[in-house]
Amino acid sequence: MSEHHEHDHAGAHAHGHGAPRNPYLDKRRNGEETAVLEARVKAIEAMLVDKGLVSTAALDRMVEIYEHDLGPMNGARVVAKAWTDPAYKARLLEDATAAIRELGFGGLQGEHLVVVENTPTVHNVVVCTLCSCYPWPVLGLPPSWYKEAPYRSRVVIDPRGVLAEFGTTLGDEVEVRVWDSSAEMRYLVLPERPAGSEGLAEDALAALVTRDAMIGVTRLPAVA
Amino acid sequence: MSETAREDIANMDGPAALPRSSGELVFHDTWEQRVFAIAVSLCEQGHYPWDAFRERLIAEIDAAHEDPWHPDPGAPGYYEHWLAALEKVLAETGLAPPANTR
Repeated sequence: MSEHHEHDHAGAHAHGHGAPRNPYLDKRRNGEETAVLEARVKAIEAMLVDKGLVSTAALDRMVEIYEHDLGPMNGARVVAKAWTDPAYKARLLEDATAAIRELGFGGLQGEHLVVVENTPTVHNVVVCTLCSCYPWPVLGLPPSWYKEAPYRSRVVIDPRGVLAEFGTTLGDEVEVRVWDSSAEMRYLVLPERPAGSEGLAEDALAALVTRDAMIGVTRLPAVA
Repeated sequence: MSETAREDIANMDGPAALPRSSGELVFHDTWEQRVFAIAVSLCEQGHYPWDAFRERLIAEIDAAHEDPWHPDPGAPGYYEHWLAALEKVLAETGLAPPANTR
């Protein structure tokens, strides 16, 4: 096998919030190595297309699905379980990383997850001021506004104003806490259980939980 | 073909975990996307269970003696292990003869 090249990207990526990264991300190959690998993959693809086992369009679609379709339901299941199981909720608030692993949601690559609980007098909202750190194993991919400068800078300076733009108006008696995500800490908001949801089972409760409520920019409406 | 990501593929843990940056999959080159899509498509069509591919992948990573958190810059990268695993699975399932393009 030919020699591998490694450019030093440590400086370019070392801004605290991005780390810890999967070190595979920093691998780079030279053009010759890439050409050899491309040829091996093209040979496989051509043969499978010949046999009618794959189509180029289907392969493109497959990449799109995995790049974009990673829904927020994992977090919703965590929230619904916390609402219905006080012992689980206690474990979740104590050590969220371990508590979400109990439900089979792994995928954290070195980050710790912290769950912060909304109450009638405390409202939590999550941001990443420096980049776009996000609790993706439970929330999927971040919405575009989460990654953009206006939200990242303004939610710290004027959280009530930003929340109002999301339709969330909070009384003066409610304390607003803003949590700045980092390399080590990813936050998930445990929303208040909606009024009128008393009789619902865990699955039905999970269906009520939205991504925005788990970021903390909205509250869950009462169940009609 | 399913229109949503399968959890057993998207959420692989340990050394086989997909490289991500804040949740978004990271591919350096187009061939990495192709090898990913081919391996997942054939599994979704039922040519092999995902565990069979995942075990192959982990075996390739182990054989490279690579600690994912302290990689050897000279060793093959993550999707090269996918490619090697795919070539072996294709040969084993009889879907394709071993690649001869190396």
